[in-house]
Amino acid sequence: MNDMRIAERVVDSMESKITARGVQVFYGQNHALKDVDVDILDKTVTAFIGPSGCGKSTFLRCLNRMNDTIDGCVVKGSIKIDSEDIYDPKVDPVQLRAKVGMVFQKPNPFPKSIYDNVAYGPKIHGLTRNKAELDEVVETSLRRAALWNEAKDRLKSPGTGLSGGQQQRLCIARAIATSPEVLLMDEPCSALDPIATAQIEELIDELRSQFSVVIVTHSMQQAARVSQRTAFFHLGYLVEFGETGQIFTNPKDPRTESYITGRIG
Amino acid sequence: MTDISGGPAALPVSKSRRGSLLTQDALTRRRNAAEARFKAYGAVAITLSMLALVWLLFSIISVGSPAFRQTFLTMPIELPEDKLDKSGTRDPAVMAKVTTVGYAAVIQAALTKAIKEKGISTDGMTPKDIAGIVSLEAPAQLRNHVLANPDLVGQTIDFEILANGRVDGFFKGRVTMETARLDSNIKPEQLVLAERLVDAGIMAQRFNWGFITFPDASDQRPEAAGLGVAIIGSFYMMIVVLVLSLPIGVAASVYLEEFAPKNRLTDLIEVNIANLAAVPSIVFGILGLAVFINFAGLPQSAPIVGGLVLTLMTLPRIIIPARAALKSVPPSIRDAALGVGASRLQSVFHHVLPLAAPGILTGMIIGLAQALGETAPLLLIGMVAFVRDYPGMPIDGFFDPASALPVQVFSWTVRGDPGFVERASGAIIVLLVFLLVMNAVAIILRRRFERRW
Ligand SMILES: Nc1ncnc2c1ncn2[C@@H]1O[C@H](COP(=O)(O)OP(=O)(O)OP(=O)(O)O)[C@@H](O)[C@H]1O
Ligand SMILES: [Mg+2]
Repeated sequence: MNDMRIAERVVDSMESKITARGVQVFYGQNHALKDVDVDILDKTVTAFIGPSGCGKSTFLRCLNRMNDTIDGCVVKGSIKIDSEDIYDPKVDPVQLRAKVGMVFQKPNPFPKSIYDNVAYGPKIHGLTRNKAELDEVVETSLRRAALWNEAKDRLKSPGTGLSGGQQQRLCIARAIATSPEVLLMDEPCSALDPIATAQIEELIDELRSQFSVVIVTHSMQQAARVSQRTAFFHLGYLVEFGETGQIFTNPKDPRTESYITGRIG
Repeated sequence: MTDISGGPAALPVSKSRRGSLLTQDALTRRRNAAEARFKAYGAVAITLSMLALVWLLFSIISVGSPAFRQTFLTMPIELPEDKLDKSGTRDPAVMAKVTTVGYAAVIQAALTKAIKEKGISTDGMTPKDIAGIVSLEAPAQLRNHVLANPDLVGQTIDFEILANGRVDGFFKGRVTMETARLDSNIKPEQLVLAERLVDAGIMAQRFNWGFITFPDASDQRPEAAGLGVAIIGSFYMMIVVLVLSLPIGVAASVYLEEFAPKNRLTDLIEVNIANLAAVPSIVFGILGLAVFINFAGLPQSAPIVGGLVLTLMTLPRIIIPARAALKSVPPSIRDAALGVGASRLQSVFHHVLPLAAPGILTGMIIGLAQALGETAPLLLIGMVAFVRDYPGMPIDGFFDPASALPVQVFSWTVRGDPGFVERASGAIIVLLVFLLVMNAVAIILRRRFERRW
C-alpha cells in the first residue's frame, strides 16, 4: 500500500511512557529475552517486528506483567511506567493491567454475550455510574473497534459465536473499553481481512491521540503504515530500535535489513 | 461437475497413476476389515453389558415389586370402652395402660364377628388359628391409632388390618399349601380361610404406602416392615454430605487449581487426594468410629456421623472431577480476564467457575449418588441398628438414631423370614429410583449450565 505515509509521520511526543532497561526473561532454562532496552513514547505507536519465536510477545507480556501467570518465568531488569517500576513489590499487577490493556495474539472473548464482553472491564473497575453510561461505553468501544455495525443487533448473543476476525475486534473493543493508558496489541490483525485491518489501523492511529500503543506485527507494511517507532527483535535480542522511517528506509544493522527485505524470518 | 464432452474443447484425459478409485486396493481392504471388526467387538460388548443390566433389573423388579403390594383385612372394629378405657377419661396417658394384648383381643373379636356375619365356615380351627391370619403388628397399629384419636373409643370403626406375612405370601405365590404343611408358622386351613375372606371381600391386596413410610419391623413381622426411617436417615445424611462437601470440595479444588503454588507440598497433597479416592470405604467407617464416636463423643447410629463419614469419603471423589473441570477451562479465558484488569479471584468467580460449573455439579451429584449407596462404613458406626422411632426434625434429628437405605437392604437380606427377601429387593428398587432421579438431575443441570452465557 502507500508506504509513502511513513514520511508524513512525525513523532509528536518525546515523553517516554515506558522505559525498559536491561530486561532479561527466562522460561526456566530458556533465555528468551536478552538485555532489551526500549523507550516507548507517550502518544506514539510502537511496532515490534521480528521473526517468529524471537520474543516479541514475551516482551509485550512483560509490560503488563502477564508473564507472572506463567510458571517458571523470571523477568530481570527494570521496566518503568511513568517512572514507576512495575516490578516493584509494592505494585499490584491488577492495578497495572487496568492501566496497560492488552489484546492477545489469539482472539479470546469470554463465553458471554457481546455486550457483557465489552462491559466487563468498565464494570469491575467501576468506570460507569449507571446502565446508560455503560451502554454508551459499550457502543463507543464497539464503534471504534469497527464492530458496531455487525454487532449492534446481536449484543445479547455470545461473543464466541462471532467469526475469528470479529472476535479479535471484540477483544480490541473490550480492551479499549477500560480506557487504558497503554494498549498492547499482539498481532491484532492476523485474523482480519484487509477492510477490517484498515479499520483497526485507523483506530490505532486515532488511539494515538490519547495513549501509547504497542503493536506486534508480522506485516512490514502494517508496521510501516501505523507506527512511528519500530523495534526489531531477533533471537531474543533487540537488534535495532528507532524511527519507523529510518528502520525501513535506512536500517543500521545488516540483520534488520535482511529481515525487512525478506531474507531472514 | 460439468460434462467434459459438452464443454468447448474436450481435452485428452490423463491416466490414473495409482490404480482405479472404483476398486479397493489390498491396504484399504485390510483397513476397512479392521474397522468392521472393531465395530463388531464394540457392539458385542455393548450387547453383553445391556443384557446383564436388563437381567439384573428384571430380577430385582420381579422379586421386589411385590413389596409395594400388601394384603389387608378391612372390617368394622368395635372399640369397647370397658376394655380400652375403663376410666372413661379418654386420656391417652391412662389409656396407654392397655397393652397390645388387649387390642389383639379386640381385633380377634371383630374378626370372629365378621366371619360369622358372612357365614364363612371355620370348622376345625381354634380361635388362635383364626387370629393367626392377622399380622402380629396389627394390634400395635390399632393401639397407636386409638391413642392418637381417643374419642374413637366406644365407636365402631372401619380399620385396615395387616394380614400375616405368610398369608400375604400366599397371595403373592411365595407360600403354597405344600409349604404351609411343613411350616410351623401357618396352617393350610388358615390359607383356605384367607381365600374365603378374599371371596367375602374382607381381605384384599392394595398398594402398600406403608413400605415407604413405616419403620422397620421385627423378625416375625416382614409385612409391617417399611423404609420410613431408612429414607429419612439417608436423606439427612445426604443433606450433611451436600452441605459440607460442596463448599469444601469446591473451595479445595479452586484453591489447588487456581491459586496454590506448584511445589512439592501441593504435589504431595494431589497424590494423597488421588489415593484417598481409592481407599476402600470401610476404612472411612473405622476412621469415623474412632474419631467421631469414640473421640468426639457423637452418638452412634446418628445421621450426622454417617454424613460426616460419607463426606470424608466423598470429598476426594468430588475434588478430582472438580479439578478436571477447572483444568478444562481454556487458559486464554483467564488471560483475557487478567488482561482487562480483573483480579485472580474475579477471573475465577466471574469466568472460570461458571464455565466449570457443569463438570463440578456432575461430579458432585455422582459423588452424592455413590455416598447414597454406600453401606460398609455405615455398618461400623452403628447405622445397622434396629431403629423403630423416626428421627426428629433437623437439626436435632441429625443426632437421633436412624437407618439408611443400603444398610436396610443389608439387614433385611440377613433376616430369616422369607418375607424379607421381597422387602430387600423392594428397598433396592427404591434406592435405584433415588439414584436414577439424582443422575437425571445431574444430566439436566449439565444441559442447563452448558449453554448458559
Ligand atoms: N509460556 C512459555 N513457556 C516456555 N517458553 C516460552 C513460553 N512462551 C514463549 N516461550 C519461548 O520464548 C521464546 C519467545 O517466544 P514469543 O512467544 O515471545 O515469540 P514471538 O516473537 O511472539 O513469536 P510469534 O511471532 O510466533 O508469536 C520462544 O523461544 C518460545 O519458545
Ligand atoms: Mg507472539
